[in-house]
Amino acid sequence: MGENERTGIFFCINLNGNEDVVDIFKIAKNAEKKPNVSVVWYSSDISLSDTKKFASEIKNLKRLIIAGYKTGTVKSFLTEAMVIAGKNPENILMADFNEYGANTKADTEKAKAVVECAILGVPFEAASVPGETSVCTETLVIGGGIAGIQASLEIANGNQKVYLLERTGTIGGHMAMFDKTFPTLDCAACILTPKMVEVGQHPNIELMTYCEVKSVEGEPGNYKVRILKKAKRVDISRCIACGICSEKCPGKAVSEFDAGTTLRKAIYIPFPQAVPNKYLIDADNCIYVQSGKCGICVKVCMVDSCINLDEKDEEVEITVGNIIVATGFKVFDAKKIERFGYGKFPNVITSLELERLVNAAGPTGGNICFRTRDKKGNWIFSDDNEKPKSFALIHCIGSRDENYNKYCSRVCCMYSLKLAHLIKEKLPDSDVFEYYIDMRAFGKGYEEFYERIKEEGVNIIRGKTAKIEEKNGQLLLRTEDVINDRLIEQKVDMVVLAVGLEPREDTSEMAEMLGISRSDDGWFLEANSICDPVGTYTGGITIAGVCQGPKDIPDTIAQSSEAASHVLKSIINGKIRKSIKDLSYDKIVSNAKEFSK
Amino acid sequence: MSNRVNPDLKKELRKFGEGDWNDCFNCGNCTAICSLTEKDILFPRKEIRAIQMGLKNKLASSVGPWLCYYCGECSETCPRDANPGELMMAVRRYLTKIYDWTGLAGLFYRSKLALFIGFLLVLIAVIAVGYVKGFETEALMEFGHLFEQYVILALFTLIILPNIFHMFWLTIVKQKVKAPVFSYITGFWHLIWNMFTQNRSLKCETGSFRWLEHFLIVIGYLLLLFTTVFLNWFSTENNFIIWLGYIVCGLVFVFTFDFIIDRLRKKREVTKFSHHSDWLFVIWLFLLGLTAFIVRLFVDTNLIDNNLWLYMIHLIVIAQWGILLVPFGKWTHFLYRSFAIYFANLKKSALKREGKL
Repeated sequence: MGENERTGIFFCINLNGNEDVVDIFKIAKNAEKKPNVSVVWYSSDISLSDTKKFASEIKNLKRLIIAGYKTGTVKSFLTEAMVIAGKNPENILMADFNEYGANTKADTEKAKAVVECAILGVPFEAASVPGETSVCTETLVIGGGIAGIQASLEIANGNQKVYLLERTGTIGGHMAMFDKTFPTLDCAACILTPKMVEVGQHPNIELMTYCEVKSVEGEPGNYKVRILKKAKRVDISRCIACGICSEKCPGKAVSEFDAGTTLRKAIYIPFPQAVPNKYLIDADNCIYVQSGKCGICVKVCMVDSCINLDEKDEEVEITVGNIIVATGFKVFDAKKIERFGYGKFPNVITSLELERLVNAAGPTGGNICFRTRDKKGNWIFSDDNEKPKSFALIHCIGSRDENYNKYCSRVCCMYSLKLAHLIKEKLPDSDVFEYYIDMRAFGKGYEEFYERIKEEGVNIIRGKTAKIEEKNGQLLLRTEDVINDRLIEQKVDMVVLAVGLEPREDTSEMAEMLGISRSDDGWFLEANSICDPVGTYTGGITIAGVCQGPKDIPDTIAQSSEAASHVLKSIINGKIRKSIKDLSYDKIVSNAKEFSK
Repeated sequence: MSNRVNPDLKKELRKFGEGDWNDCFNCGNCTAICSLTEKDILFPRKEIRAIQMGLKNKLASSVGPWLCYYCGECSETCPRDANPGELMMAVRRYLTKIYDWTGLAGLFYRSKLALFIGFLLVLIAVIAVGYVKGFETEALMEFGHLFEQYVILALFTLIILPNIFHMFWLTIVKQKVKAPVFSYITGFWHLIWNMFTQNRSLKCETGSFRWLEHFLIVIGYLLLLFTTVFLNWFSTENNFIIWLGYIVCGLVFVFTFDFIIDRLRKKREVTKFSHHSDWLFVIWLFLLGLTAFIVRLFVDTNLIDNNLWLYMIHLIVIAQWGILLVPFGKWTHFLYRSFAIYFANLKKSALKREGKL
């Protein structure tokens, strides 16, 4: 290569204290040896304020490569330097490790290949196309929320077999708990339950509720998945869902479906529209399982050998070609922020709890009531008290907060507006205050919905409430009204905390099992956040719904359908792409060399 | 003057303390969590906003920063880690610079070199005086005693009073605050009371022990000033004064020592960032108490004549403290804080008169 082809590489070592990253110095030493690489810099040695000095250093270069982490942060500096040096700034090539999923020390070889491709002037994407392999036509969908339901139905309606795996006793997920959906205020159950029933009856869907993934082995197109079938202790082919067992059962537990606002029995059906609509036994709270003495349910059951209290968990293995991960989220635990008094003041509730309260099928039959103590000291929403007259909804609880989650949970602004509307609908004389930081009404029809709620007389105030205290039986909020420059000390009867969304506790185990990565904020990492938000670097594994990052129901549905289309595409072609991470350094470099000829 | 946007304000403030004011997204959490904010006295968000917008005049006229005692709760709970508590500290330093007509406060806050040169010049001057006086104990002690009195007088008339008037000008006169005359008088007692007790800080989350330590240092320091300057502690024969001097010296260096340890540990929000002015303030106050204590001890044991160097050190510390740190450093906060409360109360009564409160 001639003098004109001389290349300089600028390594960004902006690691933010992260230790487990690729070995940049090793890569730099390797790159330095290449014939047309004449100089290598490290961002730590260069003063990013002195463009002129740097421009003088690149006078003899033709091309400049920016490699490493957070390469975008130095691009403007280097572009300016190129211009000052009289070079064409288009000759800057980016070789960002993060962009290509080279995040940990184990990815050093991959990062080396990324740099090498840049030196050869070949796009990494072009050199790193993995080969293809044949695909098993069966698909596993992990998670039975709206994302998993939608993806399963799309594939099943494409005439392919789907295993839909769900951890709890019913599909439906969080959406089944909601009362209305924004911005149209359609009833959530009216949208969801027909889909649930369709899943339950679909000949191509094998529904596996109360199951968990134990291990995933094999390779793209041919995954062997071991599944733990937790003992339901009720034979669902025999159960007629009469409910007499539950009526007589003495074991009690907190109802997950009612967001902890009520108690359920140890033998239970998660909610009346559950699919499958059969009872199951929660072993942790079953008196027979725990102590060996009880068995009332067996005695009262009208069907022979329907309940088998001694049933054991079992494991099955299935073979699938594709896996769609749709594991969803958990809501932020509001107890973590002590100054809001959740868990201390009974009438500070979470948005999910209010969602159950306003639901006609919820614990209070759709009435919004005060939370009080019952005789045993448990907190309950009791219907016979007078109703709260004033409400405050506080946005961004656990979201957009450096102390908890930095990201915006995307749904809280809209669901808070929706809840404000529902409160006004149920209790028209009540005062509702919303305290927000920024109102994010970004979707179709959302801004109009926001305007509508304002017109309905909800007081919408810009400012984040800092603390909540109890005073004379009411809750006192302290907030700065940022727009009008005043301090508001507002007394209300009930405070609703708009809790954000968080990755589930087992996200990292799940990621390890499936061989996929997580982004900095903990959600599963997509192959490309713009052009491939459902793919992963692992062949045959796609992600859908909130497990990839917070999103609302319309976006979840769209993404799930996209994941299904990826799966159907591979089944129709009979071929599936292998994992990018299986490509060796040598293979990528030889591809790149081939390409550059 | 209108509120002109000054884009360099942010850059300028960065020289006065650590923090990234751009991080703030104006949620108002800091203002609302603070136990000292009231309906019409809002900080720190308004100050951050003024910095973000480059409103120098608005910042210069605000009293909010002086009302903050840096408990650090705003910084701990800030959703953006924008560190509003440290920002208040930086603005206090900046305001000290604004009020100071000599320009030296700003110079010393920004440049460690200038401060070093200042310290060196004072040191040389004191040694020169020692030389002129032939390094004689009695002559030097007499000089020191007179020096203290003149310095105090000069500081008050030439620097501190004009600076406080400047503060009054910026916060009240220029803002056209029309407070009723009687509020100037009634507020005055409040001013004196606040000055010595700083009892507003008791409302803070930091608790009463920190307040007590602070209070004992203030009382100790003022009494030390009184016993040395007006009761001539080093030369007195009066047993009561001697013992009083020992006690107040002890108060000063014991508690400042605790403050130094606190700053080294960096455990609390307030001690996480220490500007050089913070270090100099606590260390020199500590040295002041300690050297005075030892000097009197040497006087009592008749060792001082053979150990004049000790008194020289004390004199150097006192001269550096009096000439550089008191008028241009953190010491002035003690006055500005009290006057800020006074001015804030004037603003309040003006608003009341206009019926806006």
